[in-house]
Amino acid sequence: MPPPPRQRATPEAVRASGVRKHFGRVVALRDVDVVLRAGEVHALLGENGAGKTTLVRILAGLEQRDAGTLTFAGEQVGDLDARAARRRGVALVQQHFTLVPTLTASENLVLARPRGHFLPTGRVAGQRLAALVERFGLAVRDGVPVAQLSVGEQQRLEILRALDADARVLLLDEPTAVLTGDEAAGLLAVCRRLADEGRAVVIITHRLGEVIDGCDRVTVLRDGEVVLADEPVAAHSVTTLADAMIGRHVPPVASTARVPTLPADAPVRLAVQGLSRGRLRDVSFTVRAGEVLGVAGVDGNGQAELEEVLAGLAAPDAGTATLDGAPLPHGAPRERIARGIAYIPSDRYRTALVRPMSLADNVELGRGRRWRPRRRVRRDAIADRLAAWQVRAAGPGAPVRSLSGGNAQKLVLARELAEEPQLVVTCHPTRGLDPGAAATVAERLLDAAARGAAVVWMGAELEEVLAVSHRVIVLSHGRLTGTFSPPFDRQAIGRAMGGAS
Amino acid sequence: MSAVATAIEPVEPFDAEPLDAGASGGAVVRRAVVVAGVPVVAVAAALAVGALLIAREGANPLAVYGEVLRGVFVAPRGLRNTAIGATPLVLMGLGLAIAYRARLFTIGAEGQFVLGAVVATAVATAGGVRDLPGWLLVPACIVIAAATGLVWSSISALLANRFNTSIVISSLLLTYVATAAMQWMIRVPIKDPASFVPASRVIGNAALPTVPGLHVHLGFLIAVALVPVAWLLMSRTRFGFRVDVVGHNPIALRANELPAGRMVVAVLALVGLLSGVAGYVQVAGVTDRINAEFSVDLGYTAIIVALLGRLHPLGVLLAGLGLAGLGIGFDVAERTHQLPSTLVGVIQAMIIIFVVVGDAVVVRLRARQERG
Amino acid sequence: MDVVLSVATLSAGVRLALPVALAALGALLCERAGVLNLGIEGLMVSGALAGYLVTDATGSPWVGLLAGLLTGAVCGAVLALVVVGLGANQIVTGLAFTLMAVAATSFIFQLSFGIGQNPPRIERIGMPALIVLTLVVLAAIIVVLRGTVAGLVVAAVGEAPVAADALGYHVARTRYVATIAGSAIAALAGAVLVCGPLGLFIQNVTAGRGWVALALVVFAGWRPLPCALGALLFGLCDAVQLRLQGTSTEIPYEVFLALPYVVTLVALVLRGRNSRTPAALGVPFDRRLA
Repeated sequence: MPPPPRQRATPEAVRASGVRKHFGRVVALRDVDVVLRAGEVHALLGENGAGKTTLVRILAGLEQRDAGTLTFAGEQVGDLDARAARRRGVALVQQHFTLVPTLTASENLVLARPRGHFLPTGRVAGQRLAALVERFGLAVRDGVPVAQLSVGEQQRLEILRALDADARVLLLDEPTAVLTGDEAAGLLAVCRRLADEGRAVVIITHRLGEVIDGCDRVTVLRDGEVVLADEPVAAHSVTTLADAMIGRHVPPVASTARVPTLPADAPVRLAVQGLSRGRLRDVSFTVRAGEVLGVAGVDGNGQAELEEVLAGLAAPDAGTATLDGAPLPHGAPRERIARGIAYIPSDRYRTALVRPMSLADNVELGRGRRWRPRRRVRRDAIADRLAAWQVRAAGPGAPVRSLSGGNAQKLVLARELAEEPQLVVTCHPTRGLDPGAAATVAERLLDAAARGAAVVWMGAELEEVLAVSHRVIVLSHGRLTGTFSPPFDRQAIGRAMGGAS
Repeated sequence: MSAVATAIEPVEPFDAEPLDAGASGGAVVRRAVVVAGVPVVAVAAALAVGALLIAREGANPLAVYGEVLRGVFVAPRGLRNTAIGATPLVLMGLGLAIAYRARLFTIGAEGQFVLGAVVATAVATAGGVRDLPGWLLVPACIVIAAATGLVWSSISALLANRFNTSIVISSLLLTYVATAAMQWMIRVPIKDPASFVPASRVIGNAALPTVPGLHVHLGFLIAVALVPVAWLLMSRTRFGFRVDVVGHNPIALRANELPAGRMVVAVLALVGLLSGVAGYVQVAGVTDRINAEFSVDLGYTAIIVALLGRLHPLGVLLAGLGLAGLGIGFDVAERTHQLPSTLVGVIQAMIIIFVVVGDAVVVRLRARQERG
Repeated sequence: MDVVLSVATLSAGVRLALPVALAALGALLCERAGVLNLGIEGLMVSGALAGYLVTDATGSPWVGLLAGLLTGAVCGAVLALVVVGLGANQIVTGLAFTLMAVAATSFIFQLSFGIGQNPPRIERIGMPALIVLTLVVLAAIIVVLRGTVAGLVVAAVGEAPVAADALGYHVARTRYVATIAGSAIAALAGAVLVCGPLGLFIQNVTAGRGWVALALVVFAGWRPLPCALGALLFGLCDAVQLRLQGTSTEIPYEVFLALPYVVTLVALVLRGRNSRTPAALGVPFDRRLA
């Protein structure tokens, strides 16, 4: 039951106009306008990479906008740094908490807003915390290091810290991502209360249900642009919101990718049954030889855990995963490689490459024998492969850090896909790549499928996942909320991504 | 997380270039300049400051440095003493260079050195054993010393893997324990009954033979022979490859090769092995016995040698010879020109300080340049 | 047993403990902020020489202590510049600094008093005054670390520099201050060693106590009071082993030599995963990576 629409005009707390922000060649925000009013809970909706986090960081002074105006309570501001933003009553609670794990809750509070040079005694500090807890109804335990608090408690502490600073504009980045269902509902109630007391509360989320239940207004971002500006939530449904979130924007990969035909009698190669680990709960699916299974869903819904299990980095807490009948190896990279499991990770520089080492060395990672041939021989040996995989570099001896993102990813492919892979596990393979490189990467991955590999493609850009997959499963809150075959019903997928099963 | 550094690309300036990264001509030359250039400049700068200090003492710097060179190259035992002095530094330096490439900053070589020496000496001077022939005792002692050092060093590795303890701290603590153990051993169990002060028996048959013609003990040859072995190990084996990977990105190692903990044990075991052998070699080739003055911090000097040698086996050899030669040459020069005996220590220290600072500056400059 | 509990041994233990306690407190301050200062031994010997020379020149050991303090502050500033400013490897830099300090002090001492000359004995400060001084420093550190906002910031910077930075605190500046202050105290420890009952400077006067201090910080779990108590334990073991050297007993005195280190190792192991090690210890902080 949506809350009654607010009729009276509420004072503007923040107005941003024409905000632009780019990181290198990537444009994060493009002419974004947003209005936040006191007394309202405003939802900022969008997929990964839509620009939501960048926008709120700009509002909080942690990033500097390249263009556009910011107005706080009617007053325009020039450059805004974190301190200035705080003075204006803007507080940001980020996804990664900025608490000091070894200090207690009250100590963290004092650290954020010390009064004077000397610390209050434990009792006084505790009272300060207790007063806040009492006033806002957010329970946080004191006296233990914050590291021992539950995630929900830590988050409440972050919010209390912001409120202690008398925040008038509260920005919450994906606050419910780390909460259980009950905790999330509780948080929404708190947001409502805080807004009722006259603050402007902004919640970044991708959970459509929360938007409908807990928010007054909604702004939808897509690829750095506003597609739905400051509309009353009451005027929308999950469907219309999902539609706005996903939209029809077609990434280059989608237009060029040619999904290979899948023979009807292709055997099942990867079988996942009741898989649970961390956020992932009871997920089951199969992938056949030559099939590309796309995994859609916003980051943080279990994809990382699935990636870990399939790539053999961790064992599942429950459930099984088998390739051609034999369980997937874990903790044994050499076995993974011997079984033909190719892993193209989401964070290539962290897990797949060693930046200061040469291309030749990186290709050797995980492969190669006990005795290595001479450097010259090694380099010559891969020169052909580099050319075949279109890796452009100064030479086989150049350090990987000199490669562009696209070439680095192609190098990973050149290594992982070179020897007839049986299973390909890839996550965001085209992230951060220019269109040409992205197309090449997609082409190679589909090629592996054409040769009989089972491919699991986890991605955040829905259109891309839809363009390359034979089938798509959706993860939300760690559960498999839908399996889809072409023709893909985008609205249904959107709902599944938002949490509706 | 293990005690291995978890930063993927640490902003540490101690950028030990992997033995194998380099592109076309220009980049190779540039890197060579940086790798070799910093110590060369550091040495020059240290010598320059040293010249000032010498002049202040009323001596002629050029004459003094000339005397240093003469002391090493011309004086009757100059080269020989340099080789002998360099031997433990090179042996330990080779191991430490590999460990530091893996970013395992153990400082326990001294303890492994001492313990290897003590245990090997204990065996070699024991009742039934001491009369065995040399060709049997020497290899046996080498093995025993190697095993002792290996075990001692592995303690740090195991503690790091199981309990996440800092390798720096545990290796330091173990050195103290080892030194205490040595003091007890030479005072009680293996004490030479004929000696008034605590000292072991003379090593006797387990002494290292002198190489004919070169007039240095076998230990020097072993050290020199190990240089190409170390080089091969680092550049041509999977182990060496993994050392570089674990040093730069232990996460990638874990995802593609093997858990980092195994490398920690293997590398630290290697350090212990070489340090133990160095200890035995020092007794069997130089001091003949172990007494209270046996520990002269060679294990720490070896760390300096490894750093000066840019963590490269050939560099370690050159740095070891250089540092030892500096000491030998200055020994002569100080006597001739009546300079304080502590001067050489200052110059050696300045070399390493300038290298450390120079490295840090170079890395900062390069990082700034790369960011454009 | 009577050896251990004799008054002479106990007072020797206290005497031996004081410089180590101070050096450990100095190291603790640096490490709480995340800077692993392996230059403690070098700082101690620098402070010792400075204390000795200035006391000899001015006739007042208290001025000598001050000189030690200032020397430590200056050296600490240089260390901080290299390690915090340039982000150099803290282990290597600390080792190099200690090497430099030991060599330089040996050199300067040898120049000042040559061979054959007997370095003069200097005015000394009595034990009671030194005990008070140490307790004052201990109290000051406890007050600062536990009772001031600055101390809280130091803890934050050493544990979670990213969080501290996000809250608007200057990580680098905090580390500079902590390093300078900690180095000053470590150097003061050296001056105390020389201007106290010892009353003179000799080569290798610190005899590795700086390294002991580093072990002590770990043993004490990075807390000031256990540091002082641990120093007492180390000092007692030191006194006992010195005593036992003269006598012939069942227990070899070397056991007491090794005991503090073994205990520290055990403490390290037992702490294990609950280690109180400041999480950011030894890791340079780069805002760009945050």
